[in-house]
Amino acid sequence: MSAVGVAETAQSVVADEPVAEVARRRRTRRAARRRHGRQKAHRRPRQGSVGSPGWNEAHVRRLFWRAGFGATPVEARRWAKRGKAATLDFVVNGPPGGAKLRGPEPRVDGRTLDPLNEWGDNVLWWLDRMVRTTYPLQEKLTLFWHDHFATSEQETPLMLAQNRMLRRRALGSFRDLLGDVTRDPAMQLFLSLAGSTKDAPNENFARELMELFTLGTGYSERDVREAARALTGFTADWHDNGTVTIQYEADEHDDGVKTLLGRRGRFAINDVLDLVTAHPNHAPFLVNKLWSFFVATPPSRATVRALAATYRAGGLRVKPLVRAILEHPQLYRNLDEPDLVKCPVVYVAGALRTTGSHISQNYPTWLLETMGQYPFYPPSVAGWDWGPAWMSSNSMRQRFTLGNYVVNYGRPRVRRGSAPATLTAQEAYDLAWRAVAEPQVSSATRAALVHLAAHFFDDLDPDWRDKADWRGEALQATLRHLLLVCPDSQLH
Amino acid sequence: MVVWRRTVLAGGVLAALLLAAVFAARPADARRSLPTTSVGVGAREYRLTAYRTSVPRGTVRFNLANYGEDRHDLVVRTRGGRELARTAEVRAGKRATLQVRLGPGTYRLICDLADHEVRGMHTTLRVTR
Repeated sequence: MSAVGVAETAQSVVADEPVAEVARRRRTRRAARRRHGRQKAHRRPRQGSVGSPGWNEAHVRRLFWRAGFGATPVEARRWAKRGKAATLDFVVNGPPGGAKLRGPEPRVDGRTLDPLNEWGDNVLWWLDRMVRTTYPLQEKLTLFWHDHFATSEQETPLMLAQNRMLRRRALGSFRDLLGDVTRDPAMQLFLSLAGSTKDAPNENFARELMELFTLGTGYSERDVREAARALTGFTADWHDNGTVTIQYEADEHDDGVKTLLGRRGRFAINDVLDLVTAHPNHAPFLVNKLWSFFVATPPSRATVRALAATYRAGGLRVKPLVRAILEHPQLYRNLDEPDLVKCPVVYVAGALRTTGSHISQNYPTWLLETMGQYPFYPPSVAGWDWGPAWMSSNSMRQRFTLGNYVVNYGRPRVRRGSAPATLTAQEAYDLAWRAVAEPQVSSATRAALVHLAAHFFDDLDPDWRDKADWRGEALQATLRHLLLVCPDSQLH
Repeated sequence: MVVWRRTVLAGGVLAALLLAAVFAARPADARRSLPTTSVGVGAREYRLTAYRTSVPRGTVRFNLANYGEDRHDLVVRTRGGRELARTAEVRAGKRATLQVRLGPGTYRLICDLADHEVRGMHTTLRVTR
């Protein structure tokens, strides 16, 4: 029976029916009217409301997922109308006045978060920012830099301070970011830069600086040793209350002549950072790393050259480079077939953000741990393994579990009386699809879910169907869960 | 008259019992209403850092994380040196929780393995009224 059919039937209420039954039928009728209205909106052509040629909701969804944590249906429609340039301006620059957190403050078990003192609250605190920020690209790049300058297993206050620094510098000058990372207490302790003296220079930071942070290739072992000498002089100053600050002691610095990356001089810390960022391999190295964060297919040589030129012309600023990547046609390839695997953090934050859900329980912490991406604890200085590596059998199982939590505790929760069993299979599917923020679903997945809905009541006597709303609600929960965890939802 | 007296007596006894029950319950209720405050504690060679240096009286839950390379533990002592609670030894990269009820005063947190305390693994926690 169609939704309209339900409404028509409900009008012929006999006078001596129980009040509760009449009220139930009225609710059903109102719900059917609301559904009908939404269906009309849903039937609007996706490509119709275009603010610039070749720019529609599918483009907005791709951009919002790659540059952030997904688009709500409202955002997709709004920015499709406003066009590509305006959308990119908003995504890259953020809202006027800077990032804000919108929506209810996170609470777990009735209490506010305590990121310093409660285990896991630091993760929830950051996840909440991803869910509620009005500037998602800033959080996405904070995640990128956390992986790029992977620091792990350091004191919570130090990690949170580093996180704030990465956010502040996320889209600014790479050279400034590198300077702050070099002096950051968590990094100094993690890679033993603090305590590296002229008598015993430690090569850890110098090696990762060239291999993982700036160059990748194009340096020698001697360059590492010479850079280590130039980076000596930092000490960790522990205070009585257990906090630490990083000091520079000139007496501990090796001020001798060094030969580094083909140059000779009495190099110190800033000289090393200037030399590595001026090296011809630096721009292509960072371009490739950032590109692979946003785009699944590798860039052509010409693209790398062009992006590297943009990066250098912008004075090593990150924002122009990121914008150039985000407006590159390759990012919008195969809009119907997403090819970039959502990392666990993006998957969890995206599921909450796009469905209008918030942090209300601590399940994301243990789920992220078992999915293989626990923020503040990257597995090594090389960061996490990205791409298909995220899709291990254990991780996929936990993604399935996340769907259960979102459907049970988030906004897609099925309200009593909201899903009559009398809906057609297509109507039930549409209702579920809208409840989970209209995600991109392949025709094969859609067909499978409609088929499931069509046969969900096969064991039920047809005469009982209009009294089996609880089964309709169970079907809704099932469809919403499967839409959140289906193969299509693992990609963006 | 006798019946009346007995009734008054019984009523008085009942009221006294009720009052006693109420007053007896008060300290327990008061205890229950004291807050539980979490204190993150980081251990490494050779520093012990409490992320809160002052807490209200009540139950304190220490969430200890070992960021170092060696084993460490957490011991709570009064200023006079009396031990109140301790964790087991915590391996590198592992965590432990220790819950203890503390009244107003200053307490000493230490790692008492080997010479870790002497080498710097100690800090203080102030408990306020």
